[in-house]
Amino acid sequence: MKNLLKIAMLSTALLSVGAVQAQETVVWWDFLSGGDGVRMKALIEQFNEEHAGEITIEPTTLEWGTPFYTKVQTSAAIGEGPDVMTYHLSRVPLGVESGALAEISAEDLASVGLGPDTFAAANWEAGQSDGKQYAVPFDIHSLILYYNKDKLQEAGLLGEDGKPTGLDGVENFNAALEKLKPGSEYALSLQTSGDGTPWRVFYSLFGQQDGVFLGEDGTFLPDDSIPKAVAAVETMASWVEGGYAPALTEYEGSVALFTSGASALHMNGVWEVPTMADLTEKGELGFEWGAIALPTFFDHPATWADSHGFAIPNNVGKEMTPEKKAAVLEVISWMNKNSLAWANAGHIPAYTPTRESEEFKTMEPNATYSVLADTAVFDPKSTLAGVASPVYDAVANYISPAMNGEMGAQEAIDEMKADLQDQAE
Amino acid sequence: MIRNQRGEVAVALLLILPFVLTYGVLFLWPTVQMVYLSFTDAPLIGNGNWIGIENYVEMFDDRRFWTSVKNTAYFVVLTVIPNTLIGLAIAMMVSRLKGWQQSLILAMFFLPYILPVSVVYRIWAWMFNIQFGIMQFPISAVAGEPINVFRTQWMFMPAVAFVTIWWTCGFNILLFLSGLRSISTDIYEAAALDNASRWTIFRKITWPLIWPVTALVLTIQLILQLKIFDQVYLFTQGGRPDPSMVMVQYIYQMAFQKNEGGYAAAVAVALFVIVIVVSVLQYQFLRARGEK
Repeated sequence: MKNLLKIAMLSTALLSVGAVQAQETVVWWDFLSGGDGVRMKALIEQFNEEHAGEITIEPTTLEWGTPFYTKVQTSAAIGEGPDVMTYHLSRVPLGVESGALAEISAEDLASVGLGPDTFAAANWEAGQSDGKQYAVPFDIHSLILYYNKDKLQEAGLLGEDGKPTGLDGVENFNAALEKLKPGSEYALSLQTSGDGTPWRVFYSLFGQQDGVFLGEDGTFLPDDSIPKAVAAVETMASWVEGGYAPALTEYEGSVALFTSGASALHMNGVWEVPTMADLTEKGELGFEWGAIALPTFFDHPATWADSHGFAIPNNVGKEMTPEKKAAVLEVISWMNKNSLAWANAGHIPAYTPTRESEEFKTMEPNATYSVLADTAVFDPKSTLAGVASPVYDAVANYISPAMNGEMGAQEAIDEMKADLQDQAE
Repeated sequence: MIRNQRGEVAVALLLILPFVLTYGVLFLWPTVQMVYLSFTDAPLIGNGNWIGIENYVEMFDDRRFWTSVKNTAYFVVLTVIPNTLIGLAIAMMVSRLKGWQQSLILAMFFLPYILPVSVVYRIWAWMFNIQFGIMQFPISAVAGEPINVFRTQWMFMPAVAFVTIWWTCGFNILLFLSGLRSISTDIYEAAALDNASRWTIFRKITWPLIWPVTALVLTIQLILQLKIFDQVYLFTQGGRPDPSMVMVQYIYQMAFQKNEGGYAAAVAVALFVIVIVVSVLQYQFLRARGEK
C-alpha cells in the first residue's frame, strides 16, 4: 500500500514537471492602467487562450512613470527583471545609457516577421540607439482635442459635417473659447499643474513653429527657437488668464471637468478615448462627444507624439534560453498583429498592416485624428528627455507656473534652458 | 576564588560578536561604501571610476543642492521646536486625566502616529482639496477664497510642517507623559503648601525636572526632521518639485531619476555630516543648559 502511494506521488510529480517543461512562461510588466489597462488585459487573456499549453503571459501592472522605470533598471541590474515589458520609445536613450535594455537582433525580429518595413520609419528608428534596435513600437499616441458636441453646437462652432470648425489660429481659437464661455464653467479643460499635458501641449505648439528643442550641437532651445517657445507658453498662459481654463488643476481633475460636462473642450492624450467610450456605453456621459486632431495654432499642423513599445530588459547574469526568447518574440509579434484591439484604446497602431487595414480606417474617432501621425513631433532624442525625465521635471518647474501666471513666459523659458543646459554638462 | 580574566574576555567577545558582525555588515560597511561611492562617477547600479573630490566641488556650485539644504533647514525650524512644545503641552493636559479617560485621550492623540505616511498624505490632500476639502471653509473665511495650499509656494512648507506635527506628535506626548509621571508628587504637594502659583510650579518644578526628556525629544526630532523626505515628496507630486526640494529628495532624484549614484552619494555624505554635527552640537548645548 505504502509503495503504491509512493509510486502514485512520484508519477504525479513527474507529470507536472513534464507539463512545465512544455510550457514557456513569459513574465510581463507594464504601466497601463485605466481604460488602457482593461484593453491590454483582454489582449493578454486572448493571447493566453490562443497559446494554451505553449506560452503563458504572467502580467503585472506597475505604477506609470519614475516608479516603473526605476524598478526596471534596478531589477534588470540584478537579473530579476521581467522577460518582456512595455516601454516608452521616448525613454530609449536613457534606458540604453543606464544599461536597462537588451538589444534585439534583426534576425530575431525577422524570425517573427517584424522589421523596418512593417513600421513607419520615424517610429521604428525611435526604438534604436546607435543603430541597434532596443524596442519594438506598438502604437503611436498623441494629443487630441476632445469636444462636447452639444456645447459646440450651441456656440455655433460645428461645421456642416458636424465637426468643429474655425479653431485654427491662436486668435480664432481664443475667440471660440470666448463664445463657449457662457455655456460652461470652463471653455477648455486641461491639466495645468505638474508635467504631462503642459509638456505635450507646449511641444505641439512649439513644433507648429518648427522650434528646435535640442540642437545638434547639444544646445537646449537655441537662440532662434526661444521666441517660438515663449509664444507657445504665452498662448497656453492666455487660456488660464482669460478664465477659459482652470488654474493649477491636476490631470484627473481636468478629465473630470470634461466628463462631468463642466467644460466644452478638453486637451488630452488619445488614451482617454476609452474613458469617454465606456462612459457613453454605460449612458453616464450625458452629452455627445467627439475628438479631432489638435488645431493648428501657428504655421503648420504638428502634434507631440510618443510610442508605447516592447523591450527586453538586460537581465544581468541571467541568460535567456532560446525557447524563452522565441516565446517573448512571439508575444511581441502577436501583440502587434492583433493591435487593432489596442486601437480601441484610442491609440494609432504602429504595425503598418494594421494601420492600413480597412477596419482601422473606419474606426472612430481614431480615423478623424489619425492624420496627426503624419505630422507628429517626437520627443528630442536625449538622455534628459522622455517620460519621467529631467525635461518633464523642468516643465513642472517652469512651464506650468508660467501657465498659471506665477512666472513670465520669457523668464520661464530662460530658466528652463539654463537648468537643462546645466544638467547636460 | 581566582578569576580567569582571559577567559572572561574571550566569552565577552564571543557574546558580543553577533551584534558586532551584524552592525558591521548592515551599518558600517554600507556607510564606508557610500563614502567611497561619493568619490566616483558611479551610476545607480554598478561601479564607477575614481574621480577624487570632483562631486564635492560640483556640489558646492550646485544651485539645487543649496535650495535643498535651505528647505531642509526651514523645515527643521518649522517642526522641531513647535512639535516638542505642543507635545509637552498636550502631555501636561493628558496627565491631569486619570484612569480610562487618560488612556482614551492618549490613544486618540497617538492614533495618527501609527498611520503610514501614504495614508496621512491622502487624508490631508483631501482635507485641503481646493474643490471638496473641509479645510477650505476656514481658509475661505479668512482669505475670502479657496486656496490650493500645496500649490502655493510660500504655504507649502508650513502646511507640510503642520501635517507632520499632527502626524508625529503622539510619540512625543508619550515620552513626555512618562517623564511627567516620574516627577514625585511630593514636590508638587510641597509647592502647593507654599501656595505656589500654577505658572511658578511649571517654571520651577516641571520644566527643570522634565528637561532631560525635552532634550531627548528635541534631539530625536532634529535627526528625524533633517531626514525629511516622504511627506514633501508626496505633497509635491503633480506640482513644482524644485522650489520645495529637500535633501533626501534630491538624493533620490539624483540617484534614481538621473542615474548619478556617485553624486547622490556625495550629497548623502553631506547630509550625514550635517546630521552628526548638528545633533552633537545640539545635545551638548542642551546638556549644558540642563546642568546650569
